[in-house]
Amino acid sequence: MKHYSITYARVSRQYAEAVRVYPAAPKEPTSVLMVGNSLLLNGVDVDQLRKLTTSTLRIYPIFLEGTGYYDWLYGLRRLFRQGSRPQVVVVGFEVNTALANGVWEESPMMLFDARDVLGVAADLGLDYTATSNLLLSHMSAFWEMRSFFRRRILLRLVPHFEDLFPFVRSDLTIPQGGEFEAILMSRLRTLRELCEAHGAKLILVIPPTPSSETAVRRMAIASQKVGVNALVPIDPMALSPRFYQRDAIHLNFDGAVRFTSALAVDLSKTVMDVANRLS
Amino acid sequence: MLFDSPVYFIFLIVVVLAYWRLSHRAQNVFLLLASYFFYGWWDWRFLALMIGSTTVDFLIAQKIAQSRPNPNRKQWFIFSLVLNFAILGVFKYFNFFVDSFAGSLDTLGFHHIPLPLIRIILPPGISFYTFQEVAYIVDVYKGRLEPAKSFVDYSLFISLFPHLIAGPIQRPSHLLPQVQKGRAFNADRFFDGMLLIFSGLLRKCVVADNCALLANAAFSGQLGSPNFWVILIGTYAFAWQVYGDFSGYSDIARGSAQLLGFHFMINFRQPFLSQNLQEFWRRWHISLSTWLRDYLYIPLGGSREGGWKTDRNLLTTMVLGGLWHGANWTYVVFGAIHGVVLSIERFFSVAKKKPADAVRSRHVTGFLSLWTQRILTFNILCLSLAFFRSPSLSSAVQFLGGLAHFAWRSEYVSAFVMLCMFSLPLLFVDLLLEASNQEYPFAEAPYAVRTGMAVIAFVVLAVFSGSKFSTFVYFQF
Repeated sequence: MKHYSITYARVSRQYAEAVRVYPAAPKEPTSVLMVGNSLLLNGVDVDQLRKLTTSTLRIYPIFLEGTGYYDWLYGLRRLFRQGSRPQVVVVGFEVNTALANGVWEESPMMLFDARDVLGVAADLGLDYTATSNLLLSHMSAFWEMRSFFRRRILLRLVPHFEDLFPFVRSDLTIPQGGEFEAILMSRLRTLRELCEAHGAKLILVIPPTPSSETAVRRMAIASQKVGVNALVPIDPMALSPRFYQRDAIHLNFDGAVRFTSALAVDLSKTVMDVANRLS
Repeated sequence: MLFDSPVYFIFLIVVVLAYWRLSHRAQNVFLLLASYFFYGWWDWRFLALMIGSTTVDFLIAQKIAQSRPNPNRKQWFIFSLVLNFAILGVFKYFNFFVDSFAGSLDTLGFHHIPLPLIRIILPPGISFYTFQEVAYIVDVYKGRLEPAKSFVDYSLFISLFPHLIAGPIQRPSHLLPQVQKGRAFNADRFFDGMLLIFSGLLRKCVVADNCALLANAAFSGQLGSPNFWVILIGTYAFAWQVYGDFSGYSDIARGSAQLLGFHFMINFRQPFLSQNLQEFWRRWHISLSTWLRDYLYIPLGGSREGGWKTDRNLLTTMVLGGLWHGANWTYVVFGAIHGVVLSIERFFSVAKKKPADAVRSRHVTGFLSLWTQRILTFNILCLSLAFFRSPSLSSAVQFLGGLAHFAWRSEYVSAFVMLCMFSLPLLFVDLLLEASNQEYPFAEAPYAVRTGMAVIAFVVLAVFSGSKFSTFVYFQF
């Protein structure tokens, strides 16, 4: 069943390429593993990004919709375990993704192995039932893809169902005070240590989402505090609604063009800086 | 273990396969252990509370029976009631009452008074098994039931896993004899049980979980600020969600019990086809409403004395029934609304008993009248459900405050289509069940037809389940 899934095919291919990433030899472009969710999937034109950074970077993306911190903490652990050795790891998080306490329904199948599932369940404090559901998602493509089927069928049956989607998404409330920074710094520190333990440098990319200016600033400051470079290629204030899709979350084609160009510049510069500092 | 999780079905299959190979006594011991395992799956620490409470009530019932007609039996009876309700009160209502008391003090000008709050998790199913224990003690005290001689039998009656977490609340006179007597395997009832489980899964995973999507969006403000249409979508969707959810749970519970040779009382009888709230409560959560009637309303005096005393008894019963659902003023108001409407209905039904009106009512009773009353009752219910669903009284009032605004958005069409898509099939099934007056869906149809329907149900389940809203609403009670 999973072989009929476009998402599965894409992620499997990207994952297989990512496993084979190795550190660049001197004078070779730096190897960059880039992970994120639908914000990067829609916001980054990978071919264009590769073209713009071809002399400095070798980019290996894995973009899986709906993923967040825990998906990539365990996803990266597994990649490293399987031998992936990028020099730079770029994670694309916006506020909701960075603070999410859960894993995306497709991650257990596509990004985790059984021990990761148990690790995630322990980290999230899941009960036995939720843990067994997660394990089943890891083992059964049908179980894992049920909600995908449901969405696709509802899209066909309910007129303008896609218009309802932005309404029914669950928005996360940003914690007030220092809690937001504390959670974020702790998570970024964990990711940074994981990457450094495998010889990679961590970079955070914060994609634009509407009305996220304050949160983006706070994320960037928190990131710098734990020694992780934070890239904000486009200030969300600089993007009008015409650069977003109808769901008002994801960038459209025009938005993606602008974001990709800005990302190419920022990423090349930051990676060069990092490389110079290391050398 | 959630009824709609795969691990439950693995558990159920293993238990059923082993169970039918054992003798009656061994079956009871095995089922008791399986039930404790099922309960301990959440948190084994809660087991101690349930086993302790079961043991105490078992012993008190023996004392009550032994000391007949000794006056001590009343003391034992009162001790048991106080103990049961004290345990429920501490775990479920202590913080609520302390909070409410603190709020009252604050209103009176006494600010920042330190009051004790306890950090405690509500043990799953405590409201359900406490009511079952109280029913047992009352029945033994009143001489309606002989106390169970075997501790295993009594414990199994309290903790039999299909009803343990969210009912249906089983009457001792109905379930205890089934536990005590041997159970024979019956292929027809086994098949009915499997169909009930399918029906329950459809109600829960297809109807309730998809309606939950809309209800949650409306109540959390994701459909925009509350207006007439958002309230309509939100309360209608929540009504179908909670009906699909709880009737689904009850069907899975009844079906699971039937696989083990037990019969559970029916818990829902097409409640949205009620013509008034009195009828609604005879069709909705029947195991709770009849418990409240028999163990609260009638002991309070019921309708024996008529007039305002009946209204008072109705209001008390409904308010306490509301509070049973949870420690929140929203549930109290939900119960109070129902109590008031039931009193109003009673007033009009008394007035209607005049002969001239009775003749006139026969003339006007017809299809149109029937459906007008059904729709009116459903809408009154939906308005009260706004309190049931809202996290606080102020948010419920704020939500309903939008009723006078009618700003339309094109997205509401999708919401209404989705609502109809998931609620109308259940309404259709309810109409069929109402017309056939049968306990099991399509009970008269041949095996092949019923098997075919189960296959279709499985396909629908596969296609339309998969929502993340998988927790049963009544688990929190």
